[in-house]
Amino acid sequence: MPPSLESPAIEIRDARIRLGDTDVLRGVTMSVPRGKMVALIGPNGSGKTTLLRCLLGLQKLDSGVVKLLGEPIGPRVLGRIGYVPQRLQLESSFTISVREFLSLRRRETRRWFWQSHRKTDALLLGTLGELGVESLLDRPLAGLSGGQLQRVLIAYSLLSEPELLLLDEPTAGVDTPGEQSFYELISGIHARMKITVVLVSHDLAMVFRQASWVYALNGVICCEGHPEQVLNADSLKAAYGIHVTPYHHHHGHGSAEAGQPIQFRRR
Amino acid sequence: MNLPEFLAESFFQRALLVALALGPICGFLGVFVTARRMAFFSDTISHAALTGVAAGFLAGFDEPTLPVLLYCSLVAVAMLWLRERTQLLNDTIMAVLLSTSVAGGVVLLSLQRNRWAELDKVLLGDILSVNWVDVGAAWAVAILVASALLRWLTPLVLLTTHEDLAHVGGIHVRRLNYGFVILLTIAVSLTIRALGILLVTSLIVLPPAIARSLSVNLRQHIVFSFLVGTVGATGGVLLSYPLNLPTGPTITLTLGFLFILSLATRHLRRGPAATHPSP
Repeated sequence: MPPSLESPAIEIRDARIRLGDTDVLRGVTMSVPRGKMVALIGPNGSGKTTLLRCLLGLQKLDSGVVKLLGEPIGPRVLGRIGYVPQRLQLESSFTISVREFLSLRRRETRRWFWQSHRKTDALLLGTLGELGVESLLDRPLAGLSGGQLQRVLIAYSLLSEPELLLLDEPTAGVDTPGEQSFYELISGIHARMKITVVLVSHDLAMVFRQASWVYALNGVICCEGHPEQVLNADSLKAAYGIHVTPYHHHHGHGSAEAGQPIQFRRR
Repeated sequence: MNLPEFLAESFFQRALLVALALGPICGFLGVFVTARRMAFFSDTISHAALTGVAAGFLAGFDEPTLPVLLYCSLVAVAMLWLRERTQLLNDTIMAVLLSTSVAGGVVLLSLQRNRWAELDKVLLGDILSVNWVDVGAAWAVAILVASALLRWLTPLVLLTTHEDLAHVGGIHVRRLNYGFVILLTIAVSLTIRALGILLVTSLIVLPPAIARSLSVNLRQHIVFSFLVGTVGATGGVLLSYPLNLPTGPTITLTLGFLFILSLATRHLRRGPAATHPSP
């Protein structure tokens, strides 16, 4: 096996970033092994977004090292990862259809936007089908609901057969019953395609159910471990320096069990 | 067949050729200008041309196209630069550059009493007075803009959809942004000759808005916008002469009429409530 396959999916050593007057990242060190489904959590302002932008090469480090799949961040390695953004801010006047959007990701149609290939169409339909949204192929991208758009974005990133999938707040804009099946979908993809999946989120409960390892960020990685270890309120409280309670939403007569949405609350 | 006499006039043929070159590329560019919310951006560039014209006259140019192109590019790059380097809002930056360029242009023109009459031409365009050099320039620009758009269509579509996805997809986002703005600036600078500073944006914004209600995907949107731009620009020229109307405003009104027509078609086809299909 070539050494690059043994290197971690994500490797960060002592990453520091200062934006304006704030030290956003104060020496982040973490290593995500390949093939795992992990979560990176942290409340707003914890540096999650900055760290993610850093992984995507959108934000430069002041100091430290970040590597993806054993390589420094650059166009070459970015071609091997799939990024699923939080949402698109599409103008409704932009008429791009799901088919056209997905075609942008395929080499055979990328060079010449007007072409369509029967083979590509079959591939697009197959990928959309895996996500249960094949009926959306000819719909305008700007007219999709949050959940539909999320699936189309995942289909887009899967089309290039990535080795690492980065999802930013994957449940923002998706309603709660939708969220459940969404995570099942992601873990299905993770199991089937054997790729590394990183969920970046502030929403704890769902992430904890699906991830096998959790990194809690607050300027530094303040704790990491199995979901049950990190979910322990004491360690979170100590680590975050904020008051954290497992905050249960009661839906009608439902009881407060594990798996209900848990949120951070600042005192 | 008896063609109307004015069609045989060479000044009229030149005007028609200019319209035929600029209409379609403005329509093509317009699809991305509207989707990227850059209509005001294009308006700012066109108003900046006033300073370009006046400064050009002052510097001894008889034909202001070159100084206009230079000054407009300067303003366009200044807008991008200020957006990257300052905390100012887009709208604020554009309003500052627009108003100071208009004021500067008027002041510079007022220093040259013999050129004061040019103000009308610059504000409202004068496509019937174009010479063969203008025709050549319009076609050169049309071919340049169209081939650049076609060459970089896929990255541009991805950039318009999502900037970060474009970056992750290996696209040099900043370079492409500047490139697009330069193309837009070149097209606007040339179109000022036809439509004037005040109305240039209509040829960029109206065709995609009209084409929008006829299209179900982006390919159609681009093709229809291209065609509507062609029809609007040449139709306006053709109508203005026999009706004895100013040509630039007639182009805009032709497009305005098509816009109302497209709204009515959409209303009839989809019913009043459905502006875009719901999930």
